[in-house]
Amino acid sequence: MADSAPRPSSSVKLVLLGEAAVGKSSLVLRFVNNDFQENKEPTIGAAFLTQKCNLPTRTIKFEIWDTAGQERFASLAPMYYRNAQAALVVYDLTKPTSLIKAKHWVAELQRQASPGIVIALVGNKLDLTNASAAAAGGSSEDEDEESGGAAGGDGGDESGDARKISTDEAKTYAEEESLLFFETSAKTGHNVSEVFTAIANAIPETSLKSTRGPGASNAVSRGGDEQRVNLTGPRGDASKDSCAC
Amino acid sequence: MESLGDEPWDVVIVGTGLQQSLLALALSRSKKRVLHTDPNDYYGQHEAALTLQDAERFAAKYAAASSGEGDEKKQSVLRNATVWKPDDAEAQGLKFPRAYSLALAPQIIHTKSKLLSSLVSSRAYRQVEFLAVGSFYVYEPAKDGSDPKLSRIPSSREDVFSSQSIPARSKRSLMKFLKFVLEFDSDDQKPLWEDHADAPLTDFLTAQFKLEDGLKRYVVALTMALDGKASVRPGLAAINRHLTSLGTFGPGFCAVYPKWGGLSEVAQVACRAGAVGGGIYMLDTGATPKSSDENEKASLGLSNDITVQANSIVSGQETTTGDQAISRLVAVVKSPLNSLFQVLVEGAPTPTVAVVALQSTPSPIYALVHSSDTGECPVGQCVVYLTTMTTNGSKNELEQALTMLVKAVEGEESTSPCLYQLYYEQAIGDGKPTTEKLGATSALSFPPLSATLAFEDSDLEAVKTAWSLVMGDECDEETYLVFEDREGADAEDDV
Repeated sequence: MADSAPRPSSSVKLVLLGEAAVGKSSLVLRFVNNDFQENKEPTIGAAFLTQKCNLPTRTIKFEIWDTAGQERFASLAPMYYRNAQAALVVYDLTKPTSLIKAKHWVAELQRQASPGIVIALVGNKLDLTNASAAAAGGSSEDEDEESGGAAGGDGGDESGDARKISTDEAKTYAEEESLLFFETSAKTGHNVSEVFTAIANAIPETSLKSTRGPGASNAVSRGGDEQRVNLTGPRGDASKDSCAC
Repeated sequence: MESLGDEPWDVVIVGTGLQQSLLALALSRSKKRVLHTDPNDYYGQHEAALTLQDAERFAAKYAAASSGEGDEKKQSVLRNATVWKPDDAEAQGLKFPRAYSLALAPQIIHTKSKLLSSLVSSRAYRQVEFLAVGSFYVYEPAKDGSDPKLSRIPSSREDVFSSQSIPARSKRSLMKFLKFVLEFDSDDQKPLWEDHADAPLTDFLTAQFKLEDGLKRYVVALTMALDGKASVRPGLAAINRHLTSLGTFGPGFCAVYPKWGGLSEVAQVACRAGAVGGGIYMLDTGATPKSSDENEKASLGLSNDITVQANSIVSGQETTTGDQAISRLVAVVKSPLNSLFQVLVEGAPTPTVAVVALQSTPSPIYALVHSSDTGECPVGQCVVYLTTMTTNGSKNELEQALTMLVKAVEGEESTSPCLYQLYYEQAIGDGKPTTEKLGATSALSFPPLSATLAFEDSDLEAVKTAWSLVMGDECDEETYLVFEDREGADAEDDV
C-alpha cells in the first residue's frame, strides 16, 4: 500500500509581511497564477491563497496569508504568524524605509512567532534596477513604462537604476539573522518560484509529520497528513472495511 | 484614509471569543461595515490559547476570588486563577514559553456537530487542522492488590464483542442497551424511558437493562456529565450522540479537536475570514458604550480615545449572577503518555486526545489528555486538562487526580513531573444572550459557552440571533454561513 502511495503531502502555513506597496500580493499572484498586474489595488484586510510546490520527495501545500501592509492597527498580523511555519518578509529595494520596516517584522517574528519558523527576506522590484536589465533583458514583457503606480517608485536616478538598497547590505543582514535571502521581480517573475522552493526545502521534516516516540503509531505510515481529519467525507478507502457501529 | 469615527459602523463586535468571531465570519460576505475589537492583545478571549507568558498575565488578570456585594451580586466569569511551576522547572524539561499553547476551551467537537457543518458550508474549515479524539477511559482504583489502572471503554459493537474484560452475559445486556440507545428517541422506544426522563440514569440502567456496576460506570462516563447526576433524558441523548458520531469522517473516532489550541483556533480562523471580508480589527483596544439619547445611535469610547458610532453592538458577558462554576486545571506533564494514543482501528488517524473519567465526590473529575501532536506542547510532553464542578477543595482534588492518572498510566514508580499548572474557575452561565436598547442602537451580549467537555450546538443559537439583529431586513436564512470558496482557495481536497 505504501509503495503505490503518492508523495507525502504536507500543508505549510506561510504569512507575508512587509510595508505597504512593496509587492507582497504581486509576489503571490506571480507564484500562484504566474500573472502580474500593473497598478494593483492595495490589499484590504487580508487574503488567503493556496499553492502546491512539488519537491523530489514530497509535496508542500502552501497556505498563504497575505496581509495588508497598510493595516492600521497592527492587529491582523498576530493572528497570522501564530502557528505559521514560514514567513516571507518583503521590502522594496528602491525604498530604504521598507527595509527598516522589514527588519521590524523580522524582530517581531523572532519575538512572537512559532519557534523554528522559516523566514525569508525578499527584496522585490528588481526590474527597476540595472542588474535586472541584464537579467530580464530577453523577457518578452512589452511594457516599457516605469512600473510606477502600485510600485510607487520615486523614479529612478539618471542611470535608470532606482536601486537604493545594495544586495550586500541586505544579504549581510539576512546572514546575521539566519534568514533566507532573495532579490526578486514579481513583474518579470525573476526568482519568485525560487523563493518558495527554498522555503519548502528549509521547512524541517520534523515539523511536517508526527514525531511521537517509537511504537506510537507505526501502523500508519502515510507521512504528513496522517492525522488530519478530512471534514468533507470519510478518509477514502479506509472507511470501507471498518464501519464503526 | 477614512477615519474610524466618520460614519456609524453597522456593527461593532467587542471581544474575539468564539461566538463573536463566528458572527464576524457570518458577516464576512455581507458588505456590512464591521469593526471588531478586543481588549486583549491576543485573539480568542475566554476561548483563547495561551503561551506560558500569556498564562501568567491571564492568571494575574483573573486572580480575584468570587466576590460580590449586595443583591446585585455579579461575578467575573473567570476567577481564582493561579499559575504554578516547580522552582527548577526549566532544568526538569520545561521549554520556552512560546513552545506551549494552553487551551482555555479544550472542548471536543462531535463529528455531527453543527459547528463543523457551519465551518464546512462557510469554507472556513480549510484553514483549521482537525485531529481525531481517541479512546475514552475509566480510572480503576487499586483493588485486591492490583495496581490502579485505566480501563478503556468499548464504544462500538465490534469493541464490545472483542472485549476480554466483559463476561458474555454482560455483553448481551450491553448490546441490548447500545441497540436501544441508537433509537431511543423513536416512538417505539420512548415509552421505555419517558416516565423516568429526569430520574438518575444509573437506576434506569439497572431496572431496564440489568447492567452490572462496571458497565454502568462505562455508560455514565460516556455521558461526560460534570455533575455526575446524569439523568435519563440528557444521558441517553449524550450517549446517542457519541455512538452516532462514530465513523462520520473515518473509522475509530466520534469527535475531533482543532490543532493548536481547540476552539481558539476556530475563533482565529473566523476572525481571519472577517478580515478577508474587509472587517477592521483592533486588538488591545477596549470599548465602552457611552450614554446616548433615546433616538440617537449609541457611541462607543475606545481605549485609544476614539469615539465610534454603531447601529448595533455585540459583545460577550463578562460577569454572571449564578454561583455555579467549574474548576479547570491545565497541567503540562513531562511524559508523552503514549499508551493513551494508540491506533485501535485499522485506517484510523492517530488519536491526539484521550478522555479519562475519574470517580470523585461530590462530582466526577474528567481529564482530557492531549498529545504533543495537538501542537500545544513540545514532543515528549503532554497537556492534561482536568475539569470538575467547583467546591472548596477542587484545586487539591484536581491535582491529586493528575497524580493518580499519571501513575495509572506509567506505574506506581512513575517519576514524570508536572512542569507547569494553570488553575482557574469558570462560571456557568444561563446560556441566554442579553439584549438591550442603547438609544437607537441594539446591543446583544453572548453568554459564556456551555461549561461542558464537548462543544454544545446550543451555543450556536445566539450567534444566529446576533446575525439576524445585524442584518435586519436583509436577513436571508439561506445565506447564513453558506459561502463559496474565495478565489485562490484550493478546491481539489473535496474530490
